[in-house]
Amino acid sequence: MSRSERDGGPIDLKTGKPLQARTQPGYYPKFKTMSQKAFWDEATRKVVLERVEQIPPIRFFNPEEATLMAAVCERILPQSDRDESHKIPIVNAIDERLHKDRLDGYRYEHMPSDQEAHRLGLKAIEEIAQHIYGKSFLNLSPLEQESVLATIHDGQPPAAHAIWEKMPVSRFWLLLVSDVVGTYYAHPYAWDEIGFGGPAYPRGYMRLEGGEPEPWEVHEKRYEWAAPEGSPSAKYTHVGGSPEHKGSPGQGGTH
Amino acid sequence: MKEPLFGEFETSPHEPHMLGAMQRLEFPMRRYRNEEQVDYCLVGVGSAGGVLLQRLSRAGFSVVGLEAGPFWDTERDWVSDEAGSHQLYWNDLRITGGKDPLALGANNSGRGVGGGSVHWAGFTPRFHPSDFRVYSEDGVGADWPICYEDLKPYYELLEREIPVSGPPYFPWGHPHGYPYGPHPMGGCGDILIKGCTKLGIGVSIGGPVAILAGSHGERPHCIYRGFCIQGCKVGAKQSTLISHVPDAIEHHAEIRDHSMASRINLGKDGRVTGVTYFDSQGREKQQRAKAVIVCGYAIESPRLLLNSACPGHEHGLANSSGTLGHYLMAQGGNVVLGRFKELVRMYKAPPAHAMTEEFYETDPKRGFARGFAIQTVGPLPIAFARQMMVAKGAWGWGMRQLMMDYNHWGAIALLSEILPWDDNRVELSAERDHRGIPVAKVTFNLHDNDKKVIEFGKNKVMEVMYAAGAEEVVQEARYAHLVGGARMGNDPRTSIVDKFGRTHDVSNLFVCDGSILPTQGSANPGLTIQALAARTADYLISQGTAIFSKSTRDMETPSIRYDMSPPDTWGKGVPRLK
Repeated sequence: MSRSERDGGPIDLKTGKPLQARTQPGYYPKFKTMSQKAFWDEATRKVVLERVEQIPPIRFFNPEEATLMAAVCERILPQSDRDESHKIPIVNAIDERLHKDRLDGYRYEHMPSDQEAHRLGLKAIEEIAQHIYGKSFLNLSPLEQESVLATIHDGQPPAAHAIWEKMPVSRFWLLLVSDVVGTYYAHPYAWDEIGFGGPAYPRGYMRLEGGEPEPWEVHEKRYEWAAPEGSPSAKYTHVGGSPEHKGSPGQGGTH
Repeated sequence: MKEPLFGEFETSPHEPHMLGAMQRLEFPMRRYRNEEQVDYCLVGVGSAGGVLLQRLSRAGFSVVGLEAGPFWDTERDWVSDEAGSHQLYWNDLRITGGKDPLALGANNSGRGVGGGSVHWAGFTPRFHPSDFRVYSEDGVGADWPICYEDLKPYYELLEREIPVSGPPYFPWGHPHGYPYGPHPMGGCGDILIKGCTKLGIGVSIGGPVAILAGSHGERPHCIYRGFCIQGCKVGAKQSTLISHVPDAIEHHAEIRDHSMASRINLGKDGRVTGVTYFDSQGREKQQRAKAVIVCGYAIESPRLLLNSACPGHEHGLANSSGTLGHYLMAQGGNVVLGRFKELVRMYKAPPAHAMTEEFYETDPKRGFARGFAIQTVGPLPIAFARQMMVAKGAWGWGMRQLMMDYNHWGAIALLSEILPWDDNRVELSAERDHRGIPVAKVTFNLHDNDKKVIEFGKNKVMEVMYAAGAEEVVQEARYAHLVGGARMGNDPRTSIVDKFGRTHDVSNLFVCDGSILPTQGSANPGLTIQALAARTADYLISQGTAIFSKSTRDMETPSIRYDMSPPDTWGKGVPRLK
């Protein structure tokens, strides 16, 4: 059995076989935002390089929590299509935010602090895993792990009711996913993956229309792939089962 | 080009304080002692505070602006990076609740000199004449104590001071043109134009936005990098930090940054005597002043006044009406996302660059009062992922796959009017912040009319997105902007301040910021907040020292002054406009 099948990894639709792990997934081969760093202003270069080179130590989560959190993050944004040296560290950045109490400026009533919410959430995830499979979340297959998380996504967790009395299920889900995507898509590897140009001061952009790349960007080159067979996260369904989720997290002042 | 011509871009350690790429701020700044009784103490140096500080100091008053956040050096402190710009927002704890809770922080609350004008997308539409008499015309909401004609000269003045780029003819509300020409289109603007044109809806192209289409004084024009709401390092997008604060410093105003006001002090004679605040070291201090102007925006202004309760003002300072913190408003801001076969690359160009106000006014056929606008937005990857987390419920492999198509998606958004309701409030929570100051609790509920506008508007925006050729269209419900909480009015029983921003209860205490707006239409409030500040400044200047001693109030409106603008205001821009 190949590694990818064992992992419940994604499928290469051209060959029908497991998708090979890549240095750079996505449709912009060889596009490297970091290759442009000499064109960035100094303050930006410093912030981005620090993010890439200085992984903060784990200080908020205890070792067991950190291990569980890493497994959860790997399902919230799986990275098995990335080779080992190009994985984006997620848990350390979230741990640092919680350690430094870096808040987003508000907390929903009926929600505990972000720190407590994450701790309670991990406990709940483990309880659900035990309830459904009689095993620790860490010992489940990727698809089983996804199914555990999907019950929270859907707003129907079958266990940990005492915890859900302390925090609404969907609010926790949005906090968790928000933290994970906020870390992943802040990383230059993720920018390369999705073809985002990255920092652009003082140079700016010249080709604004028609989706044209700048001279230093690259054209899209797609490959067809699919999520693992039966992956709940591949089906787009509304959080908590409702199309209108009231008061989702702020997104940097869209307008 | 593989390398920049002169090597990696570096900031010289000897650079002076920079405001934008070219403007140097000349220090030292005047410093006042706490015991010195200054003429005006302002709390908050944001959109309104920046304009007031500049006007009052230029007129010769001694002014101190207390600002909770930093006095930004844009070259050193700001970054061209989404996650790295977290510090621009009000990140202290607030509690948000109600049936339809508002997201705060990055969504609508700035911190640091320039305030919200640092992170706004920069759309600067004027309010329509009808916005000032919503109650008279529609029987809902409230009337303003002033009319459009009162504010019109200040709109025109601020459009020059900012200055605003936009089309030569803007057809909605009171039709007008703009001093700087329109911007080129980005991907989302093209989508809005295409969709609207197919449906026969007029579009304003290339503005109105507070972003320079041509260079102006020491400010370069836009470079279309798309990081407007992360703070414009270029200095092309206006914030009061770069447009008004330099002139204020030049005229001996003091900005005391990292200074968080905790209460306004009242003397035995019923007049305010100054402001208690925590300085950058966390020490409690008091600044004496002859008059105080609160410019902390829709949550912090009511919070400060509520926290200033004292004998005679048991329910909060200047709250004899009991409406302090009430009638808080946001706007419906649903983001509509469309996937296109072709690439869009919406991260380029300012998020704000095209809009329509075709649906702004009440149309009885639609079955609700008031209306909405449609505007371009341009979410960067993290914002987009979080939108998709809700719009499609995306996570896991689904999120990874969808994000790989980021460049195929475009976004436009609703901006719909939400009426002022008594139950939408800022109150004090039982929780305290790290300084021991009770934090704000915000309660928000949508009412029937609000829901109807959002439903109709959202469907219209989706229709436009499909008409533009999108093969898949999804949307995320959200809210934009904050106003109200200390509204202005003629009746002291139903409002906090009069038409000049003076509190009905205390003759030397003013509120001037978004919180005094009685309604906000479907227009972004930034321009109106700055225009109101300039108008209040003209009133204060015309009153001279009377504000500091007399308790009678002169309600005569002074004529507008054209000699109080920052340098570089006149003789710039496109000459075809008066």
